[in-house]
Amino acid sequence: MVRTDLMSKFAMRSATLLLTGVAVFFAAEIASGQQSSSAAMESASANLPLTSQSEEAKRLVGEAMRVGLDLVEQEQSDVMLRQAVKLDPDFAMAHLLLAENSLDPAEQVAESAKAVALRGHASPAERLVIEWWQDASDHKLISAITKMNDVLSQYPHDKWVIFMVTNWLTTQTQYERAIAVYERSGITDSPGLLNNMGYCYAYMREFDKAFTLMDKYVAALPKDANPEDSYAEILRMAGSFNKALEHYRAALAIDPQFYSSQFGLADTYSLMGDQIRARQEYETGFQKFPLPELHQVQWQTREAETYIREGDLKGADHAFQSIADDAHSKHMSQVEADTYRQMAMYQPDPKPALALLTRAEAALKEGKNSMPAALHQEQAQILRVRVEVAVKTGNQAAIHALLVRLDEMSGNSNDRLIETAYHGAEGAALFSQHKYDEAISHLEEDKNNPLSLKLLALAYQKIGYSAGAKRTSETLANLNDPSLEQALVVPPFRKCYEDPSCSGTVKAVSLKK
Amino acid sequence: MAVITDTANATTDLPASELVKIFNVHTRTWPDGKPITIVLRDPSSADMQLVLRKLFGMSQEQAHTFMQSHKAAIMIADSDDAVIHFVSSTRGAVGVVDLYSLTKDVHVVKIDGKLPVEQGYLLRGN
Repeated sequence: MVRTDLMSKFAMRSATLLLTGVAVFFAAEIASGQQSSSAAMESASANLPLTSQSEEAKRLVGEAMRVGLDLVEQEQSDVMLRQAVKLDPDFAMAHLLLAENSLDPAEQVAESAKAVALRGHASPAERLVIEWWQDASDHKLISAITKMNDVLSQYPHDKWVIFMVTNWLTTQTQYERAIAVYERSGITDSPGLLNNMGYCYAYMREFDKAFTLMDKYVAALPKDANPEDSYAEILRMAGSFNKALEHYRAALAIDPQFYSSQFGLADTYSLMGDQIRARQEYETGFQKFPLPELHQVQWQTREAETYIREGDLKGADHAFQSIADDAHSKHMSQVEADTYRQMAMYQPDPKPALALLTRAEAALKEGKNSMPAALHQEQAQILRVRVEVAVKTGNQAAIHALLVRLDEMSGNSNDRLIETAYHGAEGAALFSQHKYDEAISHLEEDKNNPLSLKLLALAYQKIGYSAGAKRTSETLANLNDPSLEQALVVPPFRKCYEDPSCSGTVKAVSLKK
Repeated sequence: MAVITDTANATTDLPASELVKIFNVHTRTWPDGKPITIVLRDPSSADMQLVLRKLFGMSQEQAHTFMQSHKAAIMIADSDDAVIHFVSSTRGAVGVVDLYSLTKDVHVVKIDGKLPVEQGYLLRGN
């Protein structure tokens, strides 16, 4: 398991600010500003200061970071952060970390507000981190980037700064940059960073490098469960399902309470096509472990997806509705909206799909216990699904009106998720109008979504770009992400690919492989 | 990709057509008379392909030859950090870096009124 929550709301890539080396070229030489002063050396070796009246609170935050990063024990980490803010209610950085780390939406909102309000109590460097976070949340991307780089330039070897930056880059799919920042940091004694970098390589589908780092991570923490759990997840991403199961079981043997591995087993069986066994494993997990709200929702949703994978849409409706009802009763508006949106995505009939999207928007309007940025992102996702429904019905007026709204949201937000929602929707609309060249330019901006990848492969094929079609088809066929989009797109794609009698348009692409 | 200048430069927005003239060394001074120095990454680097296409209208080879013949006006740096360092310390310098390399030491120039994070920005994507 990798931590992707902390700082995940930030939409930026890192810069590499260690000003090293000299630029030597055919036209000119430019010294890149190697820092040589003693002040710079001191800064480069410094750690981000933590400001608190309580030494114990500072110790707890340090320990919370270690437990959260190296062992990925998020709940334990949260307990320590809660203790820290109790000991020192003015500890701004502790509030920020708790806001980003919490698995409780209400706590996320409350702690975030406290961090911003209390930043005056913090050191300049801590204020910079908090403002970086705030700018990113407010979609002030350029300002956020410069602040992040400012922090990184001041503390290029601080483990927690490197963690925050690389984690952020990972969530923004800037894997190569994350690896570059890590390598420049010179940090070699952080198991948690090994874990994160292993995931970066896996996301780039460079599995040999990922497995090398996983071997090191397991060797560094042989008595902990998360290294085995991470190894399992990366094996699953690579399609080695049976080996993944072995590693998940190894994690549970080390720590029977490491519930992520129990649900990892379930996810893996689901991807392998054994939905009955998958549901058994999910239910075992729900019975054995009390879960934080957001983890409960995450795996309930995965369990609901098993019905989609076996084509039982009534079963899926029942399971998803139960999640939505539960979210409503707990005043988790964004979760409720997201659940209705997902239900709309798999409806074969546009009418119920639109009714579900209306319910999603009603939940969104309530906006309870949800970060504003998350609500905006959800609204964009809902609009995207509305466009896809309108494409199905050929309602050009609706498509146009929805795309205008999404374009405006995207233009004003500087939010990658909102942008990709716009590009995915615009690409789907243009594809339906047979405007393949234009569709491609949008679909290429949403390459992590199987729905867009499928259209992209087809669009490449339509314009005669066979190499692109082949590469995209291969990427799609090898996606092993336990998401709804994967469940909707990849299994039928593979089925058609493997069936010589299949003559669908997807097959037309696949046959070119 | 972001177009950057030193923080003392008063130019905050440029039409795309003017930017093309600057990078093709047709325009050699800023409105205040300060000479323009261009600093770029190696034209063969992956990041520069969009810049070559949109600002120079040249292939890699053409751009290489063009830059060789304009050494006084165009500097080449081996990293975004080097570009930023040069621009921040050289009055009249203009450079192009990845958006996520930006620091507080330089100004970001709008193109046709748009920042790099906005839809329709000239140097978006690669």
